[in-house]
Amino acid sequence: MSEPSLATLTEVTRTYGGVPVLSSVSLAVAPGLTAVVGPNGSGKSTLLRVLAGATEPTAGTVRVPEAAGAKPVGYLPQRVPFRDGFTARETLAFYARLVGDDPDAALDRVGLADAAEKPVEALSGGMRRLLGIAQAVLGDPSLVVLDEPASGLDPGMRERAFGAAADRADGDTAVVLSSHALDLVDAHADHVVVMHRGRVAAAGPRDAVLDEYGVADVGALYRVVAGDARRGAGADDGGDGGDGTDRDGADDEGSAGEESDAAVHVTGVSER
Amino acid sequence: MSAATGVATVFRRELATVARTPGYGVLAVGLFVAVGGLVAAGGGGATGFVPAVVDLLLPTEALVPLAAVVLGYRALLTDGASGELAVIRTYPVRVGEYVAGVLLARVVALVGVVGVPYAVVGVVVWLTAAPDTGIFATHTGIDSPVLYLRFLAFVLLFGAAYVSLAAAVSALAASRRSAIALGVLALLAGVLGGDLLLLRALGAGAPASTIPGSLAVTPNGAFRGLVFEHVVGVAFAPAGGFVSTTRAVGALVGWTLVGAVASGVTLAYGRRVDAAVERVRRGVRD
Repeated sequence: MSEPSLATLTEVTRTYGGVPVLSSVSLAVAPGLTAVVGPNGSGKSTLLRVLAGATEPTAGTVRVPEAAGAKPVGYLPQRVPFRDGFTARETLAFYARLVGDDPDAALDRVGLADAAEKPVEALSGGMRRLLGIAQAVLGDPSLVVLDEPASGLDPGMRERAFGAAADRADGDTAVVLSSHALDLVDAHADHVVVMHRGRVAAAGPRDAVLDEYGVADVGALYRVVAGDARRGAGADDGGDGGDGTDRDGADDEGSAGEESDAAVHVTGVSER
Repeated sequence: MSAATGVATVFRRELATVARTPGYGVLAVGLFVAVGGLVAAGGGGATGFVPAVVDLLLPTEALVPLAAVVLGYRALLTDGASGELAVIRTYPVRVGEYVAGVLLARVVALVGVVGVPYAVVGVVVWLTAAPDTGIFATHTGIDSPVLYLRFLAFVLLFGAAYVSLAAAVSALAASRRSAIALGVLALLAGVLGGDLLLLRALGAGAPASTIPGSLAVTPNGAFRGLVFEHVVGVAFAPAGGFVSTTRAVGALVGWTLVGAVASGVTLAYGRRVDAAVERVRRGVRD
């Protein structure tokens, strides 16, 4: 396919304590909103950390865009890390100064203008995440990486966080986020990546992947792909996608390296 | 963005963090009480600057490193442990600029937390000290605020070395607990280690003539030597010969640079080293 990619991962592996958390992941990130979904411990956060440059892969290569603006990549970790004792505006002002951006405009973009003078520690979880999103898009990066921007938020705040992320994704910008909010992924994502046991189980434009699996939405896709992969990891399942050889019953990605390539469903433009 | 902008931006944030941390104010007050109490109890402060410095010299070798380690032991750990360093590194600020900004702010904090209490004690001595014939006879009549200012400068140079070394420890530490443990270790090694090594060398037969040279290598030895050479020793005739000034100042500046470079290298290459270790582990497993 010819859709241009803004970032690529080629055969990326990352281990911790010798146990693989990502195994030979190859992925091309196209402009638009890419949602990474998968069970807990499937390697989503590590994938995003590698993409953002926060974690060095133990094997493979990562290519991120050259800085068209002040910075090439924006990043919001899973745990919003800002220092206590600073107001929301002061926090953004620190980052904005590094890229010559306007902190007030950034606060306004995510609807936090009224909370500008609130200390970070006094912000609700949702507001902190919105502040994190505002930080990540400072400097107009071509690639924005958001690790679970909607985690732990009420429905209204989840929608707001996802909306803020989706607003950023356009023809020149890729936003990659991980989430368990499959309804919001279904509503906003242009591309989906389903992770399982440290591998990409399915990836591509959302509609193409849904068609390929014959499902109506991302929730069903998740159940089919991750569910099949889980059954494939069981002792006696021989159904679709269950031809992997990962049969140790482990619930983490530690055995991902044992899975057969046949268990990895490669599809669409995003999978390389 | 220029390097100066990066350093200045990090510096401002770090200084604001220090200014908003009440514990550092408490540390400064505590240090003032300790230093003032030592001078009052020793009695030297009642008679002049040099006697006051004599009273303070030995405690200062422990108090200043302690205050400096408190100021520095979390300097580079905070952002790393919270995950904010990973965010900062997506911005166009180099590791060297980040480390320089943090260290400069912590050294400025040192001036406030350590320099101000010592300066206030100096002012008190200046206002209250009365001539004492005995002391003047002992010290050949030499006493001057300039000598105390020299002492203050050496204190800050000495403290800066420990702040920098403590920051390097904070870059290496994985958690607050390990930072405290490493900080205490660095403190003990710095305060006691140099002298113990020197004693061991002398015990092993090293000639006494090597003492000034060896003394100047460690932060505490260099500080002590400088104070003897340029503050206390000035009152004695003939003065000089305690330590090479160039070597001692070079040692304190050198330790400061060692800490800064170690911090930068740790932050710059830590992730690569971690990945390399993982490759080895994976290789062993396979």
